Amino acid sequence: MSTIVRTLRNLRKIGIKDYGHQMQYIGDTKAGTLIGVDRYGNKYFENLEELPLRTRWVDYKEKEYDPSQIEPGWHAWISYMVDQPPTADKILQTGVRTWELPEHRPTLTLSRAAFKTYSTVKPKYSAWEPVAAPRN
Amino acid sequence: MLPPTARVIQDVSHLRSRLVPSIPRFQLAARLSTSSNKSATALERQGHSSQPLTASGKIRREMPLLSQEKKEGAMQYVLTTLDQVANWARQSSLWPMTFGLACCAVEMMHLSTPRYDQDRLGIIFRASPRQSDVMIVAGTLTNKMAPALRQVYDQMPDPRWVVSMGSCANGGGYYHYSYSVVRGCDRIVPVDVYVPGCPPTSEALMYGIFQLQKKMRHTRITRMWYRR
Repeated sequence: MSTIVRTLRNLRKIGIKDYGHQMQYIGDTKAGTLIGVDRYGNKYFENLEELPLRTRWVDYKEKEYDPSQIEPGWHAWISYMVDQPPTADKILQTGVRTWELPEHRPTLTLSRAAFKTYSTVKPKYSAWEPVAAPRN
Repeated sequence: MLPPTARVIQDVSHLRSRLVPSIPRFQLAARLSTSSNKSATALERQGHSSQPLTASGKIRREMPLLSQEKKEGAMQYVLTTLDQVANWARQSSLWPMTFGLACCAVEMMHLSTPRYDQDRLGIIFRASPRQSDVMIVAGTLTNKMAPALRQVYDQMPDPRWVVSMGSCANGGGYYHYSYSVVRGCDRIVPVDVYVPGCPPTSEALMYGIFQLQKKMRHTRITRMWYRR
């Protein structure tokens, strides 16, 4: 619910700079507590006085934002799959497992690093140099 | 003397029989996957003067990609702003032509329901191809439906985009070997975004639409016109 009273109340809490920032990114004026910052640099907020399913939100680091920039643990938190944020949940901690990547990689579609299919099998045919026998 | 690959395989079988994890796994995997033949370039043709040739037989020339070109001059900056305005207008009012063919269409309908609420993104399903600019191909495209799909695509006004939704539309999917199914709707129409899944969730389709919006944001409309 966005009413003028709510917008003004949240504007008073967050200040004019954050107001402009939020209107550029989420298109709404929200005030909440900062829950954490993930490795990518996104900030996560929570305010339990908002309507259900609008209580948790993300402030993306990049202007060209993308849901895949949210780390898996934070994705679980922001989608209401878990109650505790990854900073408080021991299972969702990052940087513990040996097979983990050191940084978070978003989807690279539409960039130069996008996945391209390639073949790992030996080619079944190859070009040849045609040799024509001279005519008599 | 055995070739190195064969030696590694011998090593592996030797290790397995003894069950001694002295060599870390990743090293073995790295050595096993080492191949001298890069197959992506294996079919690249070589000319007589050992210059690499393209598939059409011309001499290969290296060109900078569009994304690598820099803005230069006042005109480029003006046109970039014009493009941004046009792209903003395009990406914030996507009117998709619904081409629901199978169960993917149900997920597409969920996108329009209040939980995902496509109306907030400016997406309104249109029943007529003449009023729409995106076609979401949702479901199995059969041979019988293919001419209709192409006709509907041809009736859409430019600029138009196609989102292929689900593995059936992407590449035939489960029905890939059927006698009556088109193996991917990209055989009929040019596709911009492929959404994988069987069926993809509504979130996945929405993510695909975000990717399409990203593609629209980076389209160089007037800049390409000026370039010619």
